[in-house]
Amino acid sequence: MSGFHHWAERNRWVWSALGVLLLWLLLDVLTARLTLANLSGVAQSAAFLVLPAVGQMFVVTTGRGNIDLSIPSTITLSAFLSMNIIAGSNSMLPVGLAAVLAAGLAIGAANAFLVLRLRIPAMIATLGVGYILATGALLANRQFTTYTVSSALSFVANQRIAGVPVVLILAVLAVAVASFVMRRTVYGRLLTAVGQSLPAAELSGVRSGKIVSIAFLISGALAALDGMLLAAHAGGAFLEVGTPYLLDSIAAVVLGGTLIAGGGATALGVLSGAFLLVLIVTTIQVAGLSIGMQELVEGVIVVLVLALSSGGGRTRPMRNRPGFPRILRRAGTR
Amino acid sequence: MAQAAQRLHDDPMQRGGRLYREPPPEEVQPVVRLRGIGKSFGPTRANDAIDLAIAPGEVVGLVGANGAGKSTLMRVICGLVQPDEGSFEIAGETIDFTHYSPNAALARGIRIVHQELSLCANLTVTENFMLEEPAPPLAPASGWRSRFRERARRETEEIFPGVGLRLDARVEELRIGQRQVVEISRAAATGNLRLLVLDEPTSSLDAGRSGHLREWVRNGAAKGAAFIFISHKLHEILDVATRVVVMRNGRVVWDGAAERTSVATLVEQMGGHPPAVPAGSAPVARQAENAAPPLVTVAGVAAGLNFRAGEIIGLAGLDGNGQRPFLHAVRRAGRRGVAVAGISCAAEPGFVSGDRRGEGVFPLWSVLENIVVGGSVRRNLLGIVSATKERRTVDPLLDRLRIVGSRLDANILELSGGNQQKTLVARALMHGSRILLLDDPTRGVDVETKQEFYRLVREIAAEGALVIWYSTEDAELLECSRVLVFRDGQVTRELRGGEISEEAIVACSFIEPGGAGARGSQAHAGPSFVSRLVQFAPAGSLVVLLVAMVALNPETATPFGADLLLSAAVPVVLVALGQMFFIGGSEIDLGIGPFAGLVSVLSATLLVAQPFLGGLAILLALAVYAAMGLLIELRRMPSIVVTLGASFVWTGCGYMLQPTPGGSSPAWLTAAFNWNVPDLPTSVALIVIAGIVAVLIDRTRAGVVLRGFGNDARALRQLGWSAAAFAMLRYAIAGCFAAAAGFSLTAINTASDINAGNAYTLLSIAAVVIGGCELLGGSTAPVGVVCGAVTLSLIGALLGLMGISTDYNAAVQGLLLLAILGVRGAIRLREARA
Repeated sequence: MSGFHHWAERNRWVWSALGVLLLWLLLDVLTARLTLANLSGVAQSAAFLVLPAVGQMFVVTTGRGNIDLSIPSTITLSAFLSMNIIAGSNSMLPVGLAAVLAAGLAIGAANAFLVLRLRIPAMIATLGVGYILATGALLANRQFTTYTVSSALSFVANQRIAGVPVVLILAVLAVAVASFVMRRTVYGRLLTAVGQSLPAAELSGVRSGKIVSIAFLISGALAALDGMLLAAHAGGAFLEVGTPYLLDSIAAVVLGGTLIAGGGATALGVLSGAFLLVLIVTTIQVAGLSIGMQELVEGVIVVLVLALSSGGGRTRPMRNRPGFPRILRRAGTR
Repeated sequence: MAQAAQRLHDDPMQRGGRLYREPPPEEVQPVVRLRGIGKSFGPTRANDAIDLAIAPGEVVGLVGANGAGKSTLMRVICGLVQPDEGSFEIAGETIDFTHYSPNAALARGIRIVHQELSLCANLTVTENFMLEEPAPPLAPASGWRSRFRERARRETEEIFPGVGLRLDARVEELRIGQRQVVEISRAAATGNLRLLVLDEPTSSLDAGRSGHLREWVRNGAAKGAAFIFISHKLHEILDVATRVVVMRNGRVVWDGAAERTSVATLVEQMGGHPPAVPAGSAPVARQAENAAPPLVTVAGVAAGLNFRAGEIIGLAGLDGNGQRPFLHAVRRAGRRGVAVAGISCAAEPGFVSGDRRGEGVFPLWSVLENIVVGGSVRRNLLGIVSATKERRTVDPLLDRLRIVGSRLDANILELSGGNQQKTLVARALMHGSRILLLDDPTRGVDVETKQEFYRLVREIAAEGALVIWYSTEDAELLECSRVLVFRDGQVTRELRGGEISEEAIVACSFIEPGGAGARGSQAHAGPSFVSRLVQFAPAGSLVVLLVAMVALNPETATPFGADLLLSAAVPVVLVALGQMFFIGGSEIDLGIGPFAGLVSVLSATLLVAQPFLGGLAILLALAVYAAMGLLIELRRMPSIVVTLGASFVWTGCGYMLQPTPGGSSPAWLTAAFNWNVPDLPTSVALIVIAGIVAVLIDRTRAGVVLRGFGNDARALRQLGWSAAAFAMLRYAIAGCFAAAAGFSLTAINTASDINAGNAYTLLSIAAVVIGGCELLGGSTAPVGVVCGAVTLSLIGALLGLMGISTDYNAAVQGLLLLAILGVRGAIRLREARA
């Protein structure tokens, strides 16, 4: 048992994966008509959540309470941008993709500039940027003309290969790459170091500014990409397309076992965390509960999972951690 | 010797022969008596069969290497740690450990001054003195401020005559030495003081203040109080103590009168080797001085200084006279490749800090990971890492640093301070620089490891590296080939070879220009003019906004116009004030808007239909809200995520009560928000009242304590304040503000919508931050928050008056937020550099 504990402490994604399994079984019992088709619906929704959540994971891992609150506005803006530029033609797709990615990277760069140069706490900086982008989306909304989606983009956003949604393949790919980056590259190691203790990382010679900037760039780019795919999926952009991803991206990251205080990430956990969230909603819907109950249960489960996984502070040398963002957890010892 | 000592306490039979014990003073009732105290942490036996009795009037000097168990023993005495076995009496009363807490210890006159300062930096000296007397959250406390100011003045002057502290200055504005003065005086102010434990009390005090303290301890002992004095400075122990207790490996190995021992014997008993480093014996390649090109050059000192490979340069002087800034200037110069403050440095140096917890270790990592990261720093970011491969590169270091290979996979925090320090040196060596900077690296390291450390530094220098070493222990500087003595940020003296001696260093530290007397009176300059100006930014932008609006449309200045415009600001102000109490406590509530929405729904539905049930439901909601605070505190969960989850719960409840917008406002509620005083816009009055209430709450004792928790919760807990009770209080206060916002929403809209509150969450955070509160907690600024909230909510109206589409509303809000914070950040940066 203690062996499992030890292993689970190092592989924090396991709890959310267990949750996914349980809910799946529950769904199976509830419906008794669980088909691959409606499961792939869950997978598709989860995949759209995974992309921005992976970006959020990188930002959260930079530590000091950093969170990217500009993700929903980035998604919305890029949804409009892609629809307006591509305008349903395959030939414009590369231009649209480039524009969307450029916008995402620019947003990430702006966030990084505000956080690193002007020393504005990430939460506030991204909040402010989000406000500005919201206006951008409103303006883009005025220009919005077309509801046609380019066929190539539509394939990625809506179609399946051998029953597996293409966008899920994309999401799994993103998770695999992120996992590799976090575990096996110099960048992942230095990012983890910065997230655990910025002063220690700086004194060890880490260029923390560069490391943190890259995290924001990744987050911006992934959110922008997601916005483009969501627009293609919905067959058009609308102002609220990004809104759910504010809370859900954070929830998926944390449910997956990434430490909200930074310095400990699990990309695999983001995948299972996103699936868990979507499955919760689906289960409630299948159970025929009202939208109010849906929200209620989702909230209670988020809090419960956290209460359980914080395990009375077993894995918490982090609360004594240097530079530990008190905004997340007041300092304390037993 | 070490083996003999080991045998000595392995075999109790031999104790009689070797272990000296003073006959316990049976005739007087001891203040505390410990019998057979034992405590284990996992496999570590921190305390083992400890017997100790302390009589009134005794000053017990407690010494021992790091990990000897001193701290654990003191924590047992002060109720912070419950021992596994043994018994404990205070003044003859047997203590039941299960009911023994810091509070209980305090009630019996037992008080500890911790090595790490436990002051709240964001509170004033007076307020910190208040924290010394824990009280329940809602206890009445009128006139506490003047009472504690008087006490602070009396106590600081009694122990440290002439210290002249500014009692209404925040502690963060004081120098480290002054902070220690506050810490000690505060503990000494405890009413019925029976036993005062001083854990390294003089680490930041200069010689004069340290003398004052010892004088005071002697006087206190003469009056019958007992003291335990813990220090690594053994001559201080011998000076002040009447009796010395030596601990080693969790046991007491020597206990006797102070005059029967000496520094040398104490060191030996603690398990160290007597320092055998005669002056000038450091084996340093001095001949290299003129041959190699300098690695570090310092301009601006009389003839300029050149440091070369093979040298060990010591930085000396009283603590806080510019040594550390010098070290960091060298680091930055090497890193950026440009001169910083006249210092140029040829390569990026490795850096080892003595503040292991604050700026040394990566706490989630193993020892191995903590070491190899040093080598990763210089690699391409996309390079592949493999811990197993890197293990081999670490092997050669292990021998040299005497780190046991089997411990490589242990978490770094499981190691003792000394071993953590060696890990950090290994990391710096992996970095592979020719320059090594040491920032008081042996702080809190046991004697034996220190000796190893000295040997290591000599080796590193001998292999052709330049070592620059800042130390607060003058004896260590004998290891150096050159010593620079700092005074008021300047190098005032360079000592070479034979000139280096402890006496010379002390002499140069004190007798140089400026005089020792100038130190204590030096306080930080107040905030600069510009930063004071920025404090008025929230009020200023509000004024500008109002002027612009009146200029555009004079109607806005009429009571009716103002009321109309500002009624939308009322809920924003209320939610923001609630959020302020969270942010002041280093937390953020991402569910505060939905909570206000829920209360609005409750008040527009249930409260109308069934007033009693509705009122009950709202009270219940507030209780749940406060309980959430308790849950967060007890389970130590991140509030950001819990409140995020809770926001779903509030919204869900709201939907169930009222699936679509509707309902109506109770008549009394509408009246409460729409009463009329001639010429006074109701909404203005409401906003002002809300602000005043917040200011009043903030200024009460409970409000101060809440800010204290935001700054340093651990310190408050150790003083005996109930974290759980105050967490609930914080959530209850914030919940009341949010509930008031919910009521105002219902009254203003005469209907409710569960989604009406959502937008307020982020807006409230923006308002609080614009208002001047630090996101990292501990600061509250109710007036600024009110201004910020009103400004943010008026922007839309201003745009309307200017004929600009309200599409731009959000963008202007965002830009204002970023602009104010950007300016604030830039100023802080400039001040930090200055």
